Amino acid sequence: MIETLQQIVKDNWGWRKQIANLAVFDLKKKARGAALGWIWFLIKPAMYIGCFWFALSIGLRSGHGTESGAPYILWLASGIVPWFFMSEMITSGCNALRRYPYLVNKIKFPISAISSICTGAALIIHLILMAALMVGYFACGMPLDLYLLQLPLAIFLMFVFWNVFSILLSPLSALSKDVANLMKAISTPLFWLSGVIFNMENVGIGWIQTIMLFNPVTFFGKIYRAALVDKVWIWEDPAVCLGFLAVFAVCFVLMLVVSKRLAKDVADVL
Amino acid sequence: MSSNSETNTPMPAVQQDRDWEQVAGKPAAASAPEEKAPAAGSLAEEGAGSAKPAAPAGPENIAEKPADKKKPAAPAKKPAAAKKPAVAKKAAPKPLNKTCVSDEVVVRFDHVTKTYNLFKNDRARLLGLFNIKRKGSYLGKVDASNDLSFEIKKGEAVAFLGRNGAGKSTALKMITGVTAPTSGTVTVNGRVSALLELTAGFDMKLTGRENIDLRCQIMGIDKDLAKELEPGIIDFAELGVYIDQPMRSYSSGMRARLGFAFAVATKPDILIVDEALSVGDVTFKRKCIKRIREIMMDENVTVLFVTHSNATAREFCSRGIVLDHGTKLFDGKLDEAIAFYDDMTKEGK
Repeated sequence: MIETLQQIVKDNWGWRKQIANLAVFDLKKKARGAALGWIWFLIKPAMYIGCFWFALSIGLRSGHGTESGAPYILWLASGIVPWFFMSEMITSGCNALRRYPYLVNKIKFPISAISSICTGAALIIHLILMAALMVGYFACGMPLDLYLLQLPLAIFLMFVFWNVFSILLSPLSALSKDVANLMKAISTPLFWLSGVIFNMENVGIGWIQTIMLFNPVTFFGKIYRAALVDKVWIWEDPAVCLGFLAVFAVCFVLMLVVSKRLAKDVADVL
Repeated sequence: MSSNSETNTPMPAVQQDRDWEQVAGKPAAASAPEEKAPAAGSLAEEGAGSAKPAAPAGPENIAEKPADKKKPAAPAKKPAAAKKPAVAKKAAPKPLNKTCVSDEVVVRFDHVTKTYNLFKNDRARLLGLFNIKRKGSYLGKVDASNDLSFEIKKGEAVAFLGRNGAGKSTALKMITGVTAPTSGTVTVNGRVSALLELTAGFDMKLTGRENIDLRCQIMGIDKDLAKELEPGIIDFAELGVYIDQPMRSYSSGMRARLGFAFAVATKPDILIVDEALSVGDVTFKRKCIKRIREIMMDENVTVLFVTHSNATAREFCSRGIVLDHGTKLFDGKLDEAIAFYDDMTKEGK
């Protein structure tokens, strides 16, 4: 187990330059063929946020001000921006090896580092979106305060957790398409059973709230909002932290088990 | 000689960085292979013509050697230089039967077994990975390599002989590192360049130039060197304006040419050549063979040859390994290996 972990860390560290370069290449490839290229990475999330704002705030009239006085659209955006990263990781991050078959069995490249390429590419987009969000944040007249220090932590945790998630699932996904289909299927409940669109506390049904605590999407939505909107420290809500840590630990151990068993075989089956 | 012992680090990226540095010293050889064309002369012809030209091209390669090796092999330089003239003379009168230049082992197989499990369908295979092997869905296993042990020393040219399915490709794949042995260890010291599946590993959505860039980055070549190599690769592949077109628009010949040009752009420490290699038209094929010869001419380059025919093997190799059903049946002098293989195939019929 420890050896597997050492191997994964060593591979990722040793190949970090290539991982970074390939992540940029991944995006270049996606931006290919469109005159506006990179701008599309911003347009889609902007539309998404706009639609939700319209539906919730104007259509359903459930949009509300926040306790700290931040505008509703900022509250919405600070949940949806991290969700974009997560939805990318859930649907395509777990399919990393299938997207790069030639790195698996034609060129010598560590298996776990292929996941890092996907996570890295998603992270670049996320950083761009975060920059845009911060512009909006200051434009709303929100203050530059200590709570914002939670953001780097949140981004780091999000990178690590979803990278672990991808290293865990992409070898399985390479073996069987069931995994990719399962991920597509649970992507919707993961979104709606999280606190991204509504306040978890408003649900009012204890056992559903407990389930939601174990949804990692809930945790990341919370930590971004804690920093940007609610102006609290995330550890002031120990339940959500513990729920996330439990899921993290389980994923981590499973990742080691799967990597140990499959690392050698994946190249032969893809 | 310990020129490469320091590259025997388990971290691939570091190892490659260093290897590329080593190559960096010789852009002339790498980026402009054609320049040697007049000197190499009839090298272009397959078969018999190769014997004589070995002499003119040999010393030339050797001459650039000491300068190249500045960084990685300071202590090893002298003994190598001392040996060189002798080897060059030896190579002149007869075919280039490369033998080892030192006792340094570059490829070592230690009781290597590679087992493929066969399952009826994907679902069974998924369950099988977690040791759930039901009767009916698990069809058994095949040992593509079975307790294979051998050592290849620096500068040797070894021919792998064997029928289809004998396990040659599996063994070579393990040397390139894309697949791992089920048990046993494979140790490789130095940079491997494999002329196996040339068109594999390209991203069809990217242009030729971007693919070169991408490959360079994957292999950890720094940007300056990559830029230096690029014109040579494009030139060798004869792609012209197509280099900036997406690769999906290339013909299969163009893809293969680019693959070959990339693989031979820099001198590897270990070259793996699949004889079934067919690249483009006759003219280009000749150019390829010439380039392979140029690389082989370097006495420090270890060459592994996969072949069914004896002519090519006789020309270059000094040692033959006969494989059958993943087991090593014979390992020794090439002539004996060929005789052994011929006997084996006759019996088979």
